[in-house]
Amino acid sequence: MFEANSDKGSLQVRDVSKFFGTFCAVNGVDLEIQRGEFLTLLGPSGSGKTTLLMMIAGFLDITSGDIALDGTSISGVPAEKRNFGMVFQGYALFPHMTVRDNIGYALSVRKRPEAEIREKVDEMLDLVQLVDFADRKPGQLSGGQQQRVALARALCFEPPVLLLDEPLGALDKKLRVEVQDQLKDIHKRVGTTFIYVTHDQEEALSMSDRIVIMRDGAIEQVGTPYELYEKPANEFAAGFLGKSNFLQRADGVYALRPEKIDIRASGTGEGEPRLSGTIQSITYFGSMQRIMFLTNGGEELEVDIDSWRNRDPLEEGQSADLYWDKGAAVKLEG
Amino acid sequence: MQDKQFMRETLVDGAKAFKEGKMKRRTFLTLCAMTGFSAAASFPGGAEAAADYIVMWNWGGQSEECHGGAIGKPHEAAGGLPLRFDTSGPLQGKIKEMVDSGNVTADVCDADLFDAVALGASGHLEAIDYNVVSKDKTLPNYALDHGVSIILYGYAFVYDTEAYGDNPPNSWADFFDTAKFPGKRSLYKWANGSLEAALMADGVDKDALYPLDMDRALNKIKGMKDDSLYWGSGSEAHSMCVNGEVTMGMVWQNRGRNIEEDTEGRYKLVMNQALAMPGAYIVPKGNPAGREEIMKFIAQAQDPDAQLQLLDCLGMTPSNPAAFDGIPEGQQPYAITSAMNIDGVAFNDPTWWGENGGDAVNAFLEAIS
Amino acid sequence: MSALRRHIHPGWALVAPFLLLVAALYLGPILNILWLSVTDPEPGLGNYQKLFESDSLLRIFWTTIRICLITTVGSVFLGYSIAYAMVHCHEKQKSYMLTLLLVSFWISILVRTFSWLMLLGHRGLVNNALEGMGVIAEPIAFMRNELGVLIGMIHYMIPYAVLPLLVNMQSLDMRVMNASRNLGATGSQTFWRIYLPLTTPGIVASSLLIFILSLGFYVTPAVLGGGKVLMIAEYISVQLLVTLKWGTAAMLAGLMLFGVLAMLYIMSRFMKLSTVFGGSS
Repeated sequence: MFEANSDKGSLQVRDVSKFFGTFCAVNGVDLEIQRGEFLTLLGPSGSGKTTLLMMIAGFLDITSGDIALDGTSISGVPAEKRNFGMVFQGYALFPHMTVRDNIGYALSVRKRPEAEIREKVDEMLDLVQLVDFADRKPGQLSGGQQQRVALARALCFEPPVLLLDEPLGALDKKLRVEVQDQLKDIHKRVGTTFIYVTHDQEEALSMSDRIVIMRDGAIEQVGTPYELYEKPANEFAAGFLGKSNFLQRADGVYALRPEKIDIRASGTGEGEPRLSGTIQSITYFGSMQRIMFLTNGGEELEVDIDSWRNRDPLEEGQSADLYWDKGAAVKLEG
Repeated sequence: MQDKQFMRETLVDGAKAFKEGKMKRRTFLTLCAMTGFSAAASFPGGAEAAADYIVMWNWGGQSEECHGGAIGKPHEAAGGLPLRFDTSGPLQGKIKEMVDSGNVTADVCDADLFDAVALGASGHLEAIDYNVVSKDKTLPNYALDHGVSIILYGYAFVYDTEAYGDNPPNSWADFFDTAKFPGKRSLYKWANGSLEAALMADGVDKDALYPLDMDRALNKIKGMKDDSLYWGSGSEAHSMCVNGEVTMGMVWQNRGRNIEEDTEGRYKLVMNQALAMPGAYIVPKGNPAGREEIMKFIAQAQDPDAQLQLLDCLGMTPSNPAAFDGIPEGQQPYAITSAMNIDGVAFNDPTWWGENGGDAVNAFLEAIS
Repeated sequence: MSALRRHIHPGWALVAPFLLLVAALYLGPILNILWLSVTDPEPGLGNYQKLFESDSLLRIFWTTIRICLITTVGSVFLGYSIAYAMVHCHEKQKSYMLTLLLVSFWISILVRTFSWLMLLGHRGLVNNALEGMGVIAEPIAFMRNELGVLIGMIHYMIPYAVLPLLVNMQSLDMRVMNASRNLGATGSQTFWRIYLPLTTPGIVASSLLIFILSLGFYVTPAVLGGGKVLMIAEYISVQLLVTLKWGTAAMLAGLMLFGVLAMLYIMSRFMKLSTVFGGSS
């Protein structure tokens, strides 16, 4: 079965910047990527995540700083010599080649024996469950199938690092969730370092070992999904990854996730309520309900509650109290 | 598409050069033959045949001024219809097409006499009425059933005086002798003149050329093929000499004068053994102005004064013997029928060319390509 | 009536008069020409028989096909390089290049043909310069031969090669080329295995265009060939206008027409012509 180069695949990004003319697309990024890690670069468009990925791939020169693979600088190495797999936005499959030839391309340009290529491609077809489609052209495949061909093509030559540039962007939502699971599964099986670019926070949360949140060319916060969600470092991180209420207090700003708040009709809760106020609106989403709440102090908060927990029916305009556990509100930096 | 554009510009350029007197009538004819384009689009006021005037179908240029002045005005003064022009060029193929289509818009074509033989035999031309037109006012063999020669042009050659200064060439034999006179040659591409020159070079007497011995002529031509260029237009012939591409070049004789001037005398015209070609007026079958009217017009063109005016205006040599003596001093070296040249000139046989011209042109093209 | 309407879209009624007009104006003369080829000068296949009897006709055919092929290969090769450079240089340089290309496209063939004479002729700029520098003793014969014809024709045809290729190249997804590099292919591997196959429709389109246009050329061969390079189009015009062998001319014209149609048919077996000529696939 598939074996990645288990001793390779750590990547060091040291103080890397990229200028297009006077425009700074990436600004002094430092990043250590562990071997075999699933790392996601997350950020809105224009945050520099794709630029950073392209510099790692070698398609863009870095303006300053250094990128190293397992401690050895690769800044001067051209893209075709870096041996990084890549899944492109829109897949960039070779439209004139069959699925088999697409997947075997990397081995073929390395002039490997036919038999070896054949065997390896068969293995990859099996991995991405496309055995029956080997002789089709990309144009005859669905979006999800194309995505899997792109993945197989990028993995076929056993690269130490796989770069994925919004690989699920073109898929519809239902399919995307399915493919996410497959991607995660494949990552687990091949053990290759994955560097994954997306602007979709759910994707990032569900798949990544670690997430790098980027904004305006710089890193806002790096951490596991749990760390980032539970302990966002700043307002941007808290707002971009999941939802947050921000509470202005004398000693600073606190972030409070909507689902960590409990709401009870006025005076029916146990203990001292954290805040009191009025329910402005209730939106029903099936498994949960979203309540917009206005405190007596004039702060607006969003409260998400599980539908099954709605012990007493709440109504719009009703007075209510808010409760949350100690530590649920996280104090932000700066 | 590009061809059409080319043709148009070739003709406009040609018409302009003609107007400036740089291009000879025959040059223009050949340009049109090369392009196969109806020049009507390049000149204002194309075909406008009606019984209100006579329409002359020719090659444009200075025709309003020259033909109008020399023939049209006197004809009109004598009670004839006024003269108009269609300058799209009366190639044989076009005359045939016009008559076949039944839409005849021209009364008289400024063509070659051999056209009269070819198209007369196929019934595309009106016969010349020799009760009105005079057989005596042209050279003896040039008054044919369906056409009469009004003017002459000819094929002669020029040579580079710097190449052959001490021992200049003086005959077609010299022209074809690349051992004695090393250098490149240029010949006319459509066989006329080139075949006759080859035969004269091969020892055939200038008065015993016809019927042309094609094999003999083509052998002579092929023998010099590696040293030969072939021109299709007068301007090409001109530039081949002026640019020094050839040391001897066959040219239309009146073009020789321009070449002598443009090279400041370095190239010199040789009129010995020049081949005289009869230019002729022919009348498409069913011409709109009627046969009677057009015959009167042709008779007017035979007038010595008209012919001398055409010589002065266009450089065409008169074919009416009564006009020969009137050729002025300055035109003597270049005119075919001048006292100075007439004895050395060979005369084209339009009947042979009319009957065999098509095959001769094809055989010639096949030999040189 | 309603059954008929189900089969024929009523929109055809709108275009029918024009279709009929076009058919009449195109097919009529073409049929007339084909008719001429078997009736002039006498009924029968005599004109076609000439093809097998006359060495010279065959030679003219081969000269034409040889020159057209070399012209096609030469201009597509140069056009490909130019189009490639235009697609991959900066926007500003590209617009300069496009302007230069279109300017040469618009200059008349006559001017271009004679410019070559001035440049490469016997006493042209190049020969004069080389002689002046003492590189050569005798002028090099660039012009008035087949080489001259090829230079002139290739030069004329280059814009026709560039434009379809440019359209083709601009529509390519450059990520595909990046993907190839990323998978370890060298520049030349990427070119031969990815770029070239993806630009094949453009190459086919410009080749067809140029070959067909070249078949109709006779101005350039006539002027730059020194009279020795006789191509079929010039020969046809001579048969029509000078020697009055309309049957021969019609036969040759018919053969050229069917040759071109056959070529398009063969092409269509290999690829959709609509993609070649810019339609969607």
